[in-house]
Amino acid sequence: MTALVMLEGVTFTYPGAVQPALADVSLALSAGEVLVATGESGAGCSTLLLVATGFAPRVVGGRLRGNRRIAAERCGIVFARPWTQLTGLCSSVRDEIAFGPASRGLPGDVVLAAAERAMAELHIAHLAEREPSQLSGGELQRVVVAAALALDPEVLALDDPAAELDPEAADTLYDALPAIAAAGTAIVIATPDLERASRVATRAVVLEGGRIVATGRPAEVLGGTEAARIARAAGCPPPVPLDVPALLRRVQR
Amino acid sequence: MTLRDLVLVRLGVAVNLVIGQIVAALLLPVYLDSVGTILVASLVGPRAAIVAGLTSQVLNAVLSGNFSWLPFAIVQVVIALYAAAAARLGLFRRLATAVPAGVGMGFVAASCSAPISYFLFGGVTAGGVTVVTTVLRALGAPLGVAVAAASYSTDLLDKAIACALVSLLLRSLPRTLAARFPALAR
Amino acid sequence: MIGYVPGHSPLHRAHPYTTLALAGALLLGAFALTRPIEVWTLVAAAAVFAASGGALRASARPALLLSLPIWALLFVLHGLLGADPRMVVGPLSLSVAGVGRALVLGGRVTAIVLGFLTALATVSPHRLVEAMTAGGVPFGRTFLLASTLTILPRMRERAAQILEAQQCRGLRIGGSVVARLRALGPLALPLVLGALAEVDEQVLALDARGAGGAARRTALDPPADSASQRMLRGSLLLVVVAAYAWKFWRMRG
Repeated sequence: MTALVMLEGVTFTYPGAVQPALADVSLALSAGEVLVATGESGAGCSTLLLVATGFAPRVVGGRLRGNRRIAAERCGIVFARPWTQLTGLCSSVRDEIAFGPASRGLPGDVVLAAAERAMAELHIAHLAEREPSQLSGGELQRVVVAAALALDPEVLALDDPAAELDPEAADTLYDALPAIAAAGTAIVIATPDLERASRVATRAVVLEGGRIVATGRPAEVLGGTEAARIARAAGCPPPVPLDVPALLRRVQR
Repeated sequence: MTLRDLVLVRLGVAVNLVIGQIVAALLLPVYLDSVGTILVASLVGPRAAIVAGLTSQVLNAVLSGNFSWLPFAIVQVVIALYAAAAARLGLFRRLATAVPAGVGMGFVAASCSAPISYFLFGGVTAGGVTVVTTVLRALGAPLGVAVAAASYSTDLLDKAIACALVSLLLRSLPRTLAARFPALAR
Repeated sequence: MIGYVPGHSPLHRAHPYTTLALAGALLLGAFALTRPIEVWTLVAAAAVFAASGGALRASARPALLLSLPIWALLFVLHGLLGADPRMVVGPLSLSVAGVGRALVLGGRVTAIVLGFLTALATVSPHRLVEAMTAGGVPFGRTFLLASTLTILPRMRERAAQILEAQQCRGLRIGGSVVARLRALGPLALPLVLGALAEVDEQVLALDARGAGGAARRTALDPPADSASQRMLRGSLLLVVVAAYAWKFWRMRG
């Protein structure tokens, strides 16, 4: 499978920063996979998302060194705060979601079809006529993801998408991701929420100081993270089941 | 204008429209409705600042319902240009230069708004300034003099405080945030 | 009070540009007319305009409330404190010319405010945005006008929250003028700096959805326009120009 995104020895430094936010990062992203990037705050996970989708340095400035090849034509990105991602121009959820395709000048019926499809994928068709300002955080975040999906991106980056959501809304959001990946979109999520991420991830990377320190399957990689260590020390179940008995206990719950 | 410029202009307009809330809570006798324009002038440049000023004027009318003040839009343009020039000269880097720059701005702004107020509105515009005008007139000053004196005194104070506030804001920007505005480095 | 009120009047059904052109003509025309009888004919025209939008009651009250302080100040500044000759009305001695001037100035403001409040009441922001998009207005202009109004409530809320938070931390908002000036910093700085910190995310979100791109955005629900409305708008412009030509001709003659 050809990689949609290929990073080789990429180093990225934000404008005005002394230390690079990403150092010597090599990564490949393929269609249909769900990659989770995790690490402590400031480790470079958000930056990895921006670099992998091409928004850095084009939109945020900064200096990129190394080899980067983005074969994907369209990339979408979703951030933690639903409110800051609204255009402010649309009085209905449908219009907000249709904004992306409409901005590309596509014909009206194509635009509306894309919006309907995206709403169906996130199960928010019932919100179509509502005003964005009247939605809860969880509903709004799903609208934002749908709005990103309406453009039919080949890569969808999610930067801690459930950070401001209550547990139920967060679950609903993450539950919608596998179906999106199954349709062919490559999903990359930057999040400290290992429990939810491990439910949907097919691969995981851990970053520290801008470098990838571990990569592999979620169970292998995420078990070694700080969160898992703390959970074990506290006698709590780890975020990812690390052995068969733990997995059985989780499934039987 | 780039997308980034647009978002910054929108921020400037929002600041212009919202800062009145803070000023009212503090019961200060000023409007500070140009702080956003001056900020945009410093962070982006004159064209963006003009757009910010004009948009603020229109939206202010939409929100308050009073559209007769639209002719004062020209004053917004003047303020935007002055602020951009002052920023270019680095006058907002220190309070000691920002306040005099603000006084100068107030002088220039009042020189534009006083004639508009006098010829188009007979000196009767927004509450505060007109009250001063009325008091001066009652004390015997001719209408033209009263309008001018009221405009100058309120504008000098208003713009001096506005420029001081913008100076404080620019100096409080974290280094990484400031690096995103090449206009500041000049 | 002030703002859009749904309805089915001719103004509601008209193209937003037509309604705005009528209000604009009232604004420009008001400054072209210099005699009380002319200005008050315009006020009557504004009232007819409001009635045709079914908005006479909706806009009359706020128009009155907005104009009241102006009328009071006009009365004092021009009526009571105006130049001689004077006339006696009850216990008051009023300037004749001053009263005439007050009637003109007050009438102007009343006509303009009535006109635009009617426009606000009959032009739905959504339809205006669609009209502007269909009319090829650059994205930036539509964005600034519509999107700013959408983000205002949140910014106001944040300003109120900052006020509360700083007061909890011991900030005093009363006292001498100098003390109150000092309080301006701690109240304004967090508001503006917080908003500035969100700019990157907002730009990324808009960019990812193709905002401001080269393609012309598709209007999904453009308001219907007609040749007669376009002719009306054109003729309004001619009427305004004629009014000013007449004014300057009278001033010379």
